[in-house]
Amino acid sequence: MTRGAPGKVVRPFAFFRAGAQSDRANRPILVFEDVYKYFKKDQPTLRGINLVVERGEFCFVTGPSGAGKSTLLQLIYRKHTVDAGRILFAGRDIARLKSSSVPFLRRNLGIVFQDFKVVKHWTVFENVAIALEILDMPRRLVRARVAEALERVGLAGRGGDRTEGLSGGEQQRVAVARAIVTEPALILADEPTGNLDPHLAIDILTLFEEIHETGTTVLFATHDHSLMGKRDHRIIALDEGRVLEARTGLRSWPGAMDVGARTETSGLRVVASG
Amino acid sequence: MELKTLMSRAKRGLREELRLYLVAISSLSVAFLCVGGALLAVSNLSSIAERWGQSGRMTVFLRDGAQDGDVAQLRMVLESLPEVRDVEALSSAEARALFLAQSEVTADLAALPPEVFPASLEVTLRGGTDPARVEAIAGRVAQLRAVDDVETYRGFFDRLESLLAAGRGLAGMLALLVGLCVLAVIGNTIRLAVARRRDEIEVLKLCGATDSFVRGPFVVEGTFQGFASAVLAVLVLLLGFALLRGPLDQSISALTGTKAAFLEPWMLMALVLGGALIGAAGSALSLRRYLTV
Ligand SMILES: Nc1ncnc2c1ncn2[C@@H]1O[C@H](COP(=O)(O)OP(=O)(O)OP(=O)(O)O)[C@@H](O)[C@H]1O
Ligand SMILES: [Mg+2]
Repeated sequence: MTRGAPGKVVRPFAFFRAGAQSDRANRPILVFEDVYKYFKKDQPTLRGINLVVERGEFCFVTGPSGAGKSTLLQLIYRKHTVDAGRILFAGRDIARLKSSSVPFLRRNLGIVFQDFKVVKHWTVFENVAIALEILDMPRRLVRARVAEALERVGLAGRGGDRTEGLSGGEQQRVAVARAIVTEPALILADEPTGNLDPHLAIDILTLFEEIHETGTTVLFATHDHSLMGKRDHRIIALDEGRVLEARTGLRSWPGAMDVGARTETSGLRVVASG
Repeated sequence: MELKTLMSRAKRGLREELRLYLVAISSLSVAFLCVGGALLAVSNLSSIAERWGQSGRMTVFLRDGAQDGDVAQLRMVLESLPEVRDVEALSSAEARALFLAQSEVTADLAALPPEVFPASLEVTLRGGTDPARVEAIAGRVAQLRAVDDVETYRGFFDRLESLLAAGRGLAGMLALLVGLCVLAVIGNTIRLAVARRRDEIEVLKLCGATDSFVRGPFVVEGTFQGFASAVLAVLVLLLGFALLRGPLDQSISALTGTKAAFLEPWMLMALVLGGALIGAAGSALSLRRYLTV
C-alpha cells in the first residue's frame, strides 16, 4: 500500500471534490489562524492559536494536562467548532462546514484515541472494515484492504479474532489499522500510548512513524517525555491555551529539561486527582 | 449505501440484541393476534350476513278469510316476477305446526289457537336480488286485496348490518390501538438498542458515517420486528383456525350455510406489511428522538 505524492491520491469524497484544484496539494495541510475556543465564558481553553502544519509532517502535540491538546485535535475533526479564528484543512475552513458535511471531513482523517475506541464485541476485521463500509466500498475490495492494513500494524491473519480478547497494545493496533485503512491525509492521535506500558508505547510510536513514512501527516498528542525524547520530530507545545514552542526535536530544544519537568509534575497531578 | 453492507450490519445488530428483540416480537405477536382474530371474526360474520341478505326471503301474510281466487291470482303475480324463484303456500294450521316444531314449546303456547298464525305465502327470491327492489315488490304486493302484511326481514338484516358495522369499527379501533402499541414498543426496543450500542455509534461517527448510515440498521431491525411479529401472529392464527375449523363447521356453519374461511390473502399481506411498516416508522421516530448523531 505505497502512497504516491499526496497530490496523486484519489479521494472520492465530497469534501475534497468541492475544491480539488491542483494548487491545494501544495498548501499546508492544516492552518490555525488565531483560533479561540471557550468552554467557559472569560476562560478560553485555546486563546489565539496560530499554527501551520505542512503536508507530510510528523508533529508531537504536548503540554501539561488541561493545556488544550485534546481540544485542539477535537476542533480539527469538528467535535467542537471554533469560537473565533479559522482552521483551514487542505485550504478549506472547517469551521464553516455545515454539520451535514462533517462526515466527509472525517473521512479524510484517521483518528486514534487513548482508550482505543474499538468495538469490543466485533471481530478485528469488522472493526477495521467499518471505516471502508462507510465509504460504500465493495466488499471484495474491503477484504483486500483490511488485510493489508492489518498486515501493516502487525496483526496479519488476526482478522477473525474477537477484539475483546486482545491485549491493550493489540487493540490499539486495531484502532490504528482502522485509522489508516482509508489512507487519510491526516492522522490525529490523542495520547494513543497513554494506556500502554513504555515498551508498547515505543512500538505504537514506531508504527505511526512507519505510516508517516508513506506520506501521511501525523499529529501525535502526548505528554510522555521519554517518548518525545527518543525522537527528533517537531514539537508543538501548548500551555494555557497558547502555542509555546513549535520547534523541531526535543533533543535540540534548549529548554527541554524545564518543559519535561513541568509536564511530568502535571502528569502526576492528573493521576493524583483521579 | 451498499445494501449488502446494510443487511449484514442489521443482521449483526439482530444477533447482538436477539434476546431483547425476541421478547418484543413475542409480545407484539400477541397484539397482532388480537387484530388478526378480530379481522377473522368480522370477515366471517360479514360473509354470513351477506349470504343471508342475498338469499332473500319474503313472507306475504294473507288476510283472514281471503278469497281463494284472490290468493291464486296473487300467487300467479308473484311467480311471474323475474326475481321470484319459488312460492310456497302455508296455511295457518301448517304455520302453527311449524312454529311448534321449531320452538321449545311450553303448554301455554301450544294452547294458542290457529288464528294467531295467519296463512301466508313463503316467497323465495333469487340470490343477489337488490334489497331496494325487494322493498319495491313488497310495497306493491301489500296493496293487493288478499294481503294483510308483507315481511321482508329487512329490519333484521339492517340490524345485523349495523351490528357488523359496529364490529368493523371496533376491529378498526383495535387495529389502530394495536398499531400505536406496536409503534411504541418497537420505538422503545430501538431506543434500548441505541443506548446499548453507544460506543459503536461513536466509532461510526468518528469514521465519517452519515446519519443515515448510522440509522439504517436500526430501521431494518425495527422493520424486522414488526414483520416477524405479524408473521408469527398469522401462523398462530392459522394454527388455531385449523384446529377450530372442524367443530365450527359442524355447529355454526350447519346453521348458517356458510363455511368458516381464513383471512383473504390481501388481508394477510396487509397485516404483515402493516407490521413491517409500523416497525419501520417506530424505529425511525425513536431514532429521531434518541439518536442525535
Ligand atoms: N467538552 C468540554 N466541556 C467543558 N470543558 C472542556 C471540554 N473539553 C475540554 N474542556 C476544558 O478545556 C480544558 C482543556 O482540556 P483538554 O482535554 O483539551 O486538555 P488536554 O491538554 O488534552 O489535557 P490531558 O493531557 O489531561 O488530556 C480543560 O480545562 C477542560 O476542562
Ligand atoms: Mg487530552
